[in-house]
Amino acid sequence: MLQIEDLSVVIHRPGRQVAALSNVSFSVAPGEVVGLVGESGGGKSMVARAIVGMLPSGSHATGRVGFDGDDVLRMDAAALAHHRGRGAAMCFQNPRGALSPTRTVGRQLIDRLVTHQDMDGKRAAESAKELFAAVGIRNPSRRLEAYPHELSGGMAQRVMISLATGCAPGLLIADEPTTGLDVTLTREILRQFRHAADTDGRGVLLISHDLASIAEVCDRVVVLYAGTVVETGPAAQVLRHPAHPYTRALLRSVPDVSGGRAVATAGGMPLMTAAPHNCPFAPRCAHATDVCRETRPETKALSSGWSLACFHPQEEPLFADTVPSNHAESSGHAEPGRSAEAGRVVLRVQDAHVVYRSRFGSGGHHALRGVSLEIKAGETLGVVGESGCGKSTLAKLIMGLVEPSEGSVEVAGKSVRKQSRVERTRAQMVFQDPIGSLSPRRTVADSIAEPLRAAKVSTAERTKKTEAALQRMELDSSILTRMPHELSGGQAQRIGIARALVGQPDLIVFDEPTSALDVTVQAQILDVIADVAADAGHGSVFISHDLATVRGFADRVVVLYLGRVVEEGPVDEVFDNPQHPYTRALLGSAPRLGETRTADVELVKDLDEADAATGCALAARCPFVTDTCRSQEQTLQPYGESRAACWRIPELPALIGKSSS
Amino acid sequence: MASLEMLPVVSGTKDGRFAKALIYVGSGILIVAALAAIFAPLLSSWGPKEIDPSGTLAAPGGEHLLGSDGNGMDVWSRVLHAARIDLGIAVLAVALAVVVGTLLGLLAGYLGGWVDDVLMRIVDIFQAFPTFILALAVSALLGGGFFNLVITIAAVNAPAYARLVRAEVRTLREMQYIEAAKTSGASTLGIMWRHLLPNSLTPVRVIAPLNCGWAMLTLAGLSFLGLGVTVPTAEWGSMISLGTSDVVAGRWWTSVPPGLALLVCVLGFSLLGEGLQERADAKSRR
Repeated sequence: MLQIEDLSVVIHRPGRQVAALSNVSFSVAPGEVVGLVGESGGGKSMVARAIVGMLPSGSHATGRVGFDGDDVLRMDAAALAHHRGRGAAMCFQNPRGALSPTRTVGRQLIDRLVTHQDMDGKRAAESAKELFAAVGIRNPSRRLEAYPHELSGGMAQRVMISLATGCAPGLLIADEPTTGLDVTLTREILRQFRHAADTDGRGVLLISHDLASIAEVCDRVVVLYAGTVVETGPAAQVLRHPAHPYTRALLRSVPDVSGGRAVATAGGMPLMTAAPHNCPFAPRCAHATDVCRETRPETKALSSGWSLACFHPQEEPLFADTVPSNHAESSGHAEPGRSAEAGRVVLRVQDAHVVYRSRFGSGGHHALRGVSLEIKAGETLGVVGESGCGKSTLAKLIMGLVEPSEGSVEVAGKSVRKQSRVERTRAQMVFQDPIGSLSPRRTVADSIAEPLRAAKVSTAERTKKTEAALQRMELDSSILTRMPHELSGGQAQRIGIARALVGQPDLIVFDEPTSALDVTVQAQILDVIADVAADAGHGSVFISHDLATVRGFADRVVVLYLGRVVEEGPVDEVFDNPQHPYTRALLGSAPRLGETRTADVELVKDLDEADAATGCALAARCPFVTDTCRSQEQTLQPYGESRAACWRIPELPALIGKSSS
Repeated sequence: MASLEMLPVVSGTKDGRFAKALIYVGSGILIVAALAAIFAPLLSSWGPKEIDPSGTLAAPGGEHLLGSDGNGMDVWSRVLHAARIDLGIAVLAVALAVVVGTLLGLLAGYLGGWVDDVLMRIVDIFQAFPTFILALAVSALLGGGFFNLVITIAAVNAPAYARLVRAEVRTLREMQYIEAAKTSGASTLGIMWRHLLPNSLTPVRVIAPLNCGWAMLTLAGLSFLGLGVTVPTAEWGSMISLGTSDVVAGRWWTSVPPGLALLVCVLGFSLLGEGLQERADAKSRR
């Protein structure tokens, strides 16, 4: 149905030129889900734009984008308009931004059906309801009346899918549809795309940077690097036994929830100004030879449907030593220095509550409901949970950016409320948005030295310490005079970590430090963080929605749900043998490469903050709910070295066995 | 997505070049005007207040390049010398307005609470009056003279900057880098000076040149009504005012040259402001 042949796109801008795509060819058949993967800058979105004929201004396209026999690149305006609605439809990355904020979602969907499908209002309303039901929206007639801001992220993405499928397009293009969604939701949304391909015989082009998460639903996978297709093939082949070094690097960069560690590949993606004359991956490739640096590899077929552009296809298994040998590694990880200082408690949070008061009236949002934690120097605590569970509030609480409405927070033995300015710097934070956390009009040197400035360190000393921190981040000191917008994401995050380290704090809080980064850069930064977190001098809190990254280097883990700790304990115990239904569900939906997953607990509904009011917070979503759960608040019960807040734990294995059989 | 053009094969962008042209033309005009003001004594043979008893209302050409006015003063010389007063007051007044307004905006925006309430209510009072009526009232209160006019015009313009900077600061203070500065132990003043101030000035940079143009018009208006600079000091507004009766009698040269000078300078500021705006837009679009 879709047949892209030798597509090249060059974008001309005053003073520069970017070769966004170079000789890209692949196809999508009806009923097929094709994954288009690669890091940002690889040209994924450009392919999507070419298919719907929406290339940015200043671009020059050559080749052919064949769609049902026509060439999209040569369509006139009328043909394009028809093609966009019924030929190929697009689901955007940010569904809330793509929905008009002042009109109900039902209105938007019905309007679309009326104009494009020539339906009358009544029939359109009927089929709108059907479309909503088809994407798993409960109570569709009520949701049709909702405005976009009333929808959760997952719900908004479902609405977006129903909008896109509404006009019965032959091809559905989804541009990073699950970015920013939690693991549980990601799975659910990706299933909707599979469903669209299976039931209606649509082609689906799924664009993602995250190989592991789309692995389950794709038939075939196309890997892009620097605007070129490096590997194409059946999903099982490409994801489990990839032959191109880049695909392998991409896969190895993702830590695995069962304990496999990420392997970093140095370097970043080059920005091409013209179609490459050599292999664009050569500078980062361990197998590169002179041939790679001089000639561009042809795309060769290895077996039916599997082809790649590489002179040196790799054959050995992807993960040579990933079987949970990690245990030995992580216990060896606890260096002797650790136990020596192990007595010193650097963070103590006792029964902390945080309520964000709404500005008008009395109500408020109860973000944390009684959290207690303790971290010793040299220890790393992982904090996991879905978005909206209170992770970021916990980080702000520890940093003194929000005040507890009840309970207490002590950093290095001193209550956060009573800290002086210098004492404040005893706890440092590494932020989620690496570039946004650097002051845009201050140089890198200024940013790193900021904590020292508060501590009244002399200028000479400041320079020395800044350089030392920079060296530890493996950055050249020439970067010191640069401005944040001149940095890549990975560099900026290294600067962020250097800033956190420079004053030798007692505690470092990492708030989702890698979620805004590209996959291979993520692996590099995780390496750096693992190194930093292993320091004996300070404790670390690592907050992430990604369970796998937490497993990589946390000693203990805390699972948060709606402001409460539902399970806590040593990371291996909790992850290998989770007790609480919520933890089980989280782990069950975490993407795993190369295995078919067996999720033993599946949550119903999406997270809703109103659930936290009475009884067990999970009651509304838990498949094993009883009346006791709804009425009684759950407290943490010890098991092994861990604790979990669910009274049905002893019965759970039997219950799970029953529900899966 | 909305800003993308739908054509697959097209030419380069024009935004950048257009903005550049506007900036060049605008600042070109202003540089010429500034040079004329600086070298006014060298460019004219008559002094600005010098009276030629033999030549009241002399037609252009001859001894007076642009003729002379009803008092026998040389129009060309006065137009040139007036640029000193008009440009000087406008630029100084806007600079003062920017400094005061930015400071108030920073305080109100970052500290919030009662500081914000008090400062913004004062700003509300200022902005409740039409600018020119307010300028009339303030200048009636302060009287004329160079520095009083600077203060008058700054006073009517500062509230707008306070509002602009406050709005900017209120969004900036939620940014992660401000949180980062807080956790790095930066003081409130430090955050305002080192982080908020440099980042909140972007819109001010665009508005200030446009504002200089309006300030010139306000000044000329005040002088036209006799509240600003008064005769014999050369000022475009008062010159236009002085010449109104002459124009009716067909002696255009006393009013038209200062009017044109005013027009050209305001145009220069407008073009510069537009260009900066255009450039900022082109940048954000990328």
